[in-house]
Amino acid sequence: MGAMTATDRAIVRPGREHTRRRVNRRVLAGYGFVMPAVILLVFFALGPFLFTIWVSIHSWNMLTPVAEMPFEGLTNYRYLVNDDPLFRETFGNTIYFAVGNVGVSVVLALGVALILNGQVKLRAFWRAAFFMPYVTAPVAIAIVWRNILDSNWGMLNGLLDRVGLPQQPFLDSLEQAMPSVIGVAIWHGVGYYMIIFLAGLQAIPHDLYEAARLDGAGAWKLFWSITLPLLRPTLLFVIVVNTLASLQVFDLPFVLTDGGPVNETNTLVMYMYDTAFRFLRMGRATAMAVMLFAVIFVMTMIQLRLLREKE
Amino acid sequence: MFDSNQTSTAISRTGISRRRFAQGMAATPFALGAAAKGFRATRAQDKVKLVLLTHWGTQEQKEPLDAILAEYTAANPNVEIEHQTVAFDELLNRISTGQLGGDAPDIYHFYNLWLPDFAASELLSTPPEDVNADITASYAEGTVGGASFNGQAWGYPTEVNDYQLIYNKTMFQEAGIEAPPSTFAELREHAKALTKGSGDNLTQAGIMFLQGWDSGVVHPWTSLLWSNGGQYVADDYSAALFNEQPGIDTLQLQADIISDGSAILSLLEDADFESGRAAMTIMANWWGATLRASDLGIENVGVAPIPHGDGGTSTAVQYEWLWGVSNVSQNAEAAWAFLKWLNGPRDGAADASSPMGDFLTSALNAIPGRTSDQAAHTDVLGDPFVKPFVDAFASARSEPIIPGAQEIKTALQTQIESVWFGQKDAAEALNQAAEEANRILKEKMGS
Repeated sequence: MGAMTATDRAIVRPGREHTRRRVNRRVLAGYGFVMPAVILLVFFALGPFLFTIWVSIHSWNMLTPVAEMPFEGLTNYRYLVNDDPLFRETFGNTIYFAVGNVGVSVVLALGVALILNGQVKLRAFWRAAFFMPYVTAPVAIAIVWRNILDSNWGMLNGLLDRVGLPQQPFLDSLEQAMPSVIGVAIWHGVGYYMIIFLAGLQAIPHDLYEAARLDGAGAWKLFWSITLPLLRPTLLFVIVVNTLASLQVFDLPFVLTDGGPVNETNTLVMYMYDTAFRFLRMGRATAMAVMLFAVIFVMTMIQLRLLREKE
Repeated sequence: MFDSNQTSTAISRTGISRRRFAQGMAATPFALGAAAKGFRATRAQDKVKLVLLTHWGTQEQKEPLDAILAEYTAANPNVEIEHQTVAFDELLNRISTGQLGGDAPDIYHFYNLWLPDFAASELLSTPPEDVNADITASYAEGTVGGASFNGQAWGYPTEVNDYQLIYNKTMFQEAGIEAPPSTFAELREHAKALTKGSGDNLTQAGIMFLQGWDSGVVHPWTSLLWSNGGQYVADDYSAALFNEQPGIDTLQLQADIISDGSAILSLLEDADFESGRAAMTIMANWWGATLRASDLGIENVGVAPIPHGDGGTSTAVQYEWLWGVSNVSQNAEAAWAFLKWLNGPRDGAADASSPMGDFLTSALNAIPGRTSDQAAHTDVLGDPFVKPFVDAFASARSEPIIPGAQEIKTALQTQIESVWFGQKDAAEALNQAAEEANRILKEKMGS
C-alpha cells in the first residue's frame, strides 16, 4: 500500500480523524498509566525470575562476567537430584519444618481464636499478648530464644531443674534441635494466624448459630457444621500463606542453630544461601531456587484444589 | 502541560523527522553518560584515585587506617584514596557485585581461602616483579605460601593467625598437673583428670571442642592432623588425604575424649572456656581480645604448642589476609606502589615497622605477617599470651589454599561433627568427606 500524500490527508473526513486521534490518545494514556507498574514488574519480578532460570542452566561464580558463563544444560538439576545428599537432607528438613509448623500453628491459632472470640476476661489483653511476638523481628526473637534454650545456661533448663525435671539439650541435640526451632516458629507466628481466624470467625452470621442451637446442636456440632465450613476460605488462606513461609524459612534456624547440629536444622534456603554466597556456585543455587519454586507452586495448587469452595 | 502539537510544530520547523527526534531522545542518556565518563577520565589524568575495600569498619579500626592513608596522600598529592568498608559477612558479596557491576575497588583486603576462586576468575592483577621479590624475601615461608596459589604470590600478607592449645592455669594447678599436654595420649589423660562431674551434672569439662562454625571445627582438627603426621590434600590438589590413617586416628582421639565424658561441645558464643567451664581448648590468637575482656583474666590463661601424635611434631594451622589489586583497576601501578609503601619499613630502614605493622599491632591487636614487623613490635608480640603464637609460625603451615576450599571445609566440618555426635565412626565420616572433597577438586580443577 502506498503512503498517504498531503492531499489524501486533506480529504479524509475531519470528524473521523479527530475520533481516531482521541482514541489513540486514550490508548496511549492507558499504556502510560500502566507502564510504571509494567516496568517495575519486568525489572523486579519477571526479569529476575527469568534470569534465575537462565543462570540455573549455567555455571557461574559471580566473579566472571555474565556473558562468559559456561552453559551446563540440566547438569545442576541432575546433580541436585542424583548426587547431592545435602540437598535431599535439607529438603527433608524443610518439609519436616513446614509440616510441623503449619500443622501445629494452624490448630493452635484456631483454638486460641475460638477461645478469644467468646466471652473471656481481659480479651483485648490476651489478643495483644498472643499477637505481640509477631511484631518482633525474627532475628531478635531467635537471639533471645537461643539463650533461653541454651543447654548449659538456658532459662528453660534452669526452670526444669527447679521443678525436678531432667535438663534437656534442646538445640545441641540431634533429636531435639528441629522440634525446638519449630516451637519457636510456632510461638512467633501463632498470634498472626489467630488474628486472621478471629476476623474469619466474626464474619460468620450469628443467627446461624442461634438457629442451630434451637435445633439442639451442641458445641461440637456447631463447630463442625457451621464454624469450620464457613471458615474454609480463611483456613485456606492461613494454610497456604503459612506453607509458603515455612518452605522458605531462613532467618530463625540461621540465627538459632546455623543449621546445626550436623545439618539437622539446615533448611533448603539456608543451603541455597551457602551454595550461592559461600561456595560461589550461583548456577546450582538458582537451580535449587527454581526447584523450590516448582514445589511451592505445586503444593499451593494442591492446597487450593483441596480446600476451595465446592461449586 | 506538555503539548504534543507544539512539539510537533517545533520539530517540523527545525526540519528534523519524528523518527530522528525519537532516536536523538533515546540516545541522550548514553551521550550524557559517555560525556560524564570522559569528564572523569580527564580528571583522572590529573589525579589518581584509588578505592580501597576492607572489612575494618568499626571506628577503632577505620580511623587509624584512614590516618595512615592520609599520611600517604599528603606525601603523594597526586593520589587520592577512598576507603570503603563492609562487614566481613558482606565482603565477598561486595567484591563480586563490584566486579560484575563495573564498580570494582582498586585494592581488596581479603581472606586467603578465596584466593583460588579469585585467581581462577582472573580477578586479581599479578604483582610487579619488585613487589613479588619483596613478598618472597620479607615473610616466613608459610605466610608466603598462604598468599600464593599455583606458585604465584598474589599480594601482600597482612594479619596472620595460628592455632595453639589454650589452657586454664588455675584448673591445671587444682588438678595437680604441672605442664600442658604435649602428646595425644597426655591430651586425653589430662582432659579426663581435669573433668568434674558428668552428664547433666558436668561442672567442668577437660576440653572444649567448638561446634557449628567451620573454622572452629576444622582448623583445630587439622592442626592435630598435621601434628599426627597426616596430610590434608595431595600437593597437586588431585585428592584429599585427610581420610588416611593419621586422620582417622586424630578424629578417633576426639571421639574417645568425648566418650570419656571429658569434653564439652560448645558454640563460640557460649563462652564455656571464658566462664571457667572448660580447662582446655584449641583456638587462634585473635581470641586473646575476648579472653582479656573476660572475668577469667589473661594471666590465668596459658598457651602451649598443639599436642602431637606418635612420630609427629607439633604443627599449627595458620591462615591470613592479604592485600590484592583488582585486575580491572585502571590504576594498578599506583595501587601496587601504595601497597609497597604501606607494607614496607618506614623510611626504608630495614628494622623499622611498616605502617601496616603499626596498624595491625595497635588497632587490631593482630600479629603482622612481615618478619621485620614482628621484630619491630616485640613489646606487643612479646606478651606472654601472644608470644607462643608468634613462635609457632616458624613451624606453622597455611590452611590449604585449594580450589573449592570453603566447600571442602564445610563438608569436613559436617563429617567431623557427625562423629562427635555419635552418628558415624571416624573412618566412615572421613571417607565420606574425602569423597565429597575429591568431587569438588575434580570439578574445580577441570573448570
